[in-house]
This record gives sequence, structure tokens and C-alpha cells, in this order.
Amino acid sequence: MRLRHFTYAVLTALILLGVAQTTPAQALDISSGGQPTITGAVNGSVTGSISVTSDLVVTINFGEVSPLNPNSVVKVTVPIALRSNQPYQVTVSATGINNANPQALQSSDIGFGLQNPRLLGGAGKICTQSTHIVQAPFDNDPANSATVGASGRVTYPSSLANLSGSTLLLSGPILSKNNSSKRQLSDGWIFDAIFTITPQFFVAGAGSATLVFSIAPGPNVPC
Amino acid sequence: MPRLTSLIIRIFPLAILLFVSAAICAAQATSGTVSLSATVSKFVEISSGGPVTLTGNSGGGVTTDGVNNSPLAVSINLGELGPANTNSFVTALVPLKVRSNAGYVLSMSATVTSSGSTTNRIGAADVGFGLGTVSRSGTGVNTAGSDTNATSGDPTLAANGSINGTTGRYEFTAVRSNLSAFSSATTALSGPFIMNAVPRSNGNGLTVPAYFAVKPQFFENGTTTVSVTFTVTAP
Repeated sequence: MRLRHFTYAVLTALILLGVAQTTPAQALDISSGGQPTITGAVNGSVTGSISVTSDLVVTINFGEVSPLNPNSVVKVTVPIALRSNQPYQVTVSATGINNANPQALQSSDIGFGLQNPRLLGGAGKICTQSTHIVQAPFDNDPANSATVGASGRVTYPSSLANLSGSTLLLSGPILSKNNSSKRQLSDGWIFDAIFTITPQFFVAGAGSATLVFSIAPGPNVPC
Repeated sequence: MPRLTSLIIRIFPLAILLFVSAAICAAQATSGTVSLSATVSKFVEISSGGPVTLTGNSGGGVTTDGVNNSPLAVSINLGELGPANTNSFVTALVPLKVRSNAGYVLSMSATVTSSGSTTNRIGAADVGFGLGTVSRSGTGVNTAGSDTNATSGDPTLAANGSINGTTGRYEFTAVRSNLSAFSSATTALSGPFIMNAVPRSNGNGLTVPAYFAVKPQFFENGTTTVSVTFTVTAP
């Protein structure tokens, strides 16, 4: 008899735990949007999950960006998946690039833009009364919009130098049709974050930076 | 008791499945990270600074000319170097272009081979050499850099050579003013970084003319081949 009670108790606990984990806890999510890609690199790489249900944890190694790299640009595309059941905004902050020598790699030498919004499957929500707005000046592909400045150095319409503290990158209406707090394979939108470096006669050395993308409730726009 | 066991067998896997599936279903997150890194290695290169200028020659000519910003691979026929050539010197001026993102050293090595068999044949000491005025100019060039020329400049200058009073042979006497000083790789020019942070497609750089000169004399008849290799490094 006591064994039966114990067994029921264990089963009940397991079921309650399972149900508890499916209870909606929050309505905003940022995750991997698929496999990141890199082109034009010499000894470079990018690692990140191909699964849209994995956390957004991407490591980019641009590799060699001196003239030893004969390519015109090193371009990395990082798909980012967003989900929300309410209007949202995405901010990004950057730390790391801090070279004192102006001829060394600077944050302004890393082009950064947001492009190619697209549905993440059939449960991504299409709103007709509001659009997803990429904030200026980030609505560009830096690989296609780089120019040579008066000093001869390559410049971009937007770069990591445009990030100051937590910088608003994107905002818009509801992203997901369903109301699940769990990541699904098809319940949001994907945006491509694009990073570029043009190989140049930078002073020898290394550079690194870390970007944190965050999603939060945004302006209350209609869907 | 058997009924209880049967119940456990039926329900327990379902409970486990529900628990596990809920656990592996990814939870949401409101932030993600992207880490970036890049490497800049030292880079140096030497190329042609433009076409060769050949003066004082009798016969001969530029066989393979230099082309600005192209690999340095020129070939020059100095022509007649015996007394039949009445000019004071046969001089070839070869423009060099050097670019770097770090301090550089330009070194040179040379070999001189003549078909003659006596000491009167043309030797390395009979071929004058020097680097001329260094120019750092143009967009993207570090114009503040100061370079050290280890040669004595234009070897045809009076200060850089004279007739040996004993032998009567003309000699290039100044420091590193003839190819005998470059039988092995020897520094000719050095300095700080040349290029600011600009793409390699920027065609500017440090330019310097390399002078090669021979004074026509009663050399032993025959043919002579001079081979010169410039190398730039970033120590």
C-alpha cells in the first residue's frame, strides 16, 4: 500500500514538473537563426549552432586581415532568430576594440549591418499595420557599401563604432503567432547580422570584440 | 499488486517522456553573444616603381621593363662597356616601390659573372650601385617616416668614385657604392612602417631609384652577367 502511494506521488511530481516547464514564462526570445557563414577569410572561421532552437552563441575569427589576405573583404553573416508575442526591440552593445594606435584595427574598421528579414516558418507572424524597422545607419550590407575615404582607409555606412552603450538596432510588432515560451522551429523572424573587415595595412597585432544582442519589449505598435 | 505494477509500467514512461521532452525543449533567452577576433600580421612587399631609365649606353637597351606596382623583374642590356663607348658612364636607373605595415629592411645581393679570365674582366667592384632619393608620398603613405639609406647614393657622383692613381682603373670607392659590397644579402635601406591603414589596392608606397653604373674602360673583352636580388623583410 505504501509503495503504491509512493509511486503515485513520484508520478504526480514528474507530471507536474513536466507541465510546469511548459508554462509560459516570458514572451521575448533571441536565438541562433541558423548556420553562420564566412567568406573571403584566410585562416578564419565562424562557429555557431545551425539549430534555430539553440542559444545565440557565435564566435567569429576573421583570420588574417593584413594585405596577406588577398581578398577584397572578409564577410561574416550571422542569422539571428527573434520571437515575441508583443512588440519588441533589439539592442546591441559592444566591448573590446580599443587600440591606441590609430593605424591599428579600430571598431570603425569592422562594418556592421542588419539585412534580410524573413519569416522563421509558418508560425512567424506577418503584421500589416507595422513594419520591422532597422534603425539608421544599420540597414545596409557593409560588404556592398564600403567606400574609400579621403585618407585612403575603407569606411562603412555603419560599423561597430556606431555602437555606444546599448544601441537600438531593430524594433517592430509581434513576431510569433503562438504564445509558447518554448522555442519552436517555425515561430518567429530571422535577421542577418553582417560583419565585414577589409584587409588593409593595419599595424600588426590582434583585435577582438564581444557583442551582446538583447531583445526587450518595444514601442507599442499595432500589428 | 500486479495491477499496480502494470499501472506503473504504463504510466511511468509517459511521465518520463513528458518530463524529458519538456526539459529538452529549449527555453527562451533575451540575449545572445557574438564574439569577434582578427589578426594582423606583419606585411612587406617590393614591386616595380615604374619603367627603367638607361643612359650612356652604346647598343643594348631595356629588355624587360618595369611596370609600376607589378612584380620587380627587369632585364637590362647595358650594351658596349669597352672604350668603344665614349660616354662617361652607362647608367641604369631602376625604380623600386616598397610597402609595409611594419618597420622594414631592404637588402640586396648581387652576383657578377664575366667570361674573361684575367683581372681585367668586369668584376663586382666595377659595377657601381646606390639608392637615390627616398620618397614617401601619396594618399595612405606614412609621410612622417624617416628612412636610412645605407648606400652612398648615385655612384656616378664625383664624391663616390675616382681613377685609381696606381692602377688607372676607375673605382667606386664610397661606402656600399659597388656590387662587391653585396656579395651576400646586405642592408641597403631601412625605416619605419610605410603604409597607413589602407587597402592593398592603394597603389602608393615608398619609392626609391636604384642606380647601376659601369664606367666604360679597357676591360677584357667578353660578356658579363649581373644578377641582383632585392629582398624586403620586417624584422
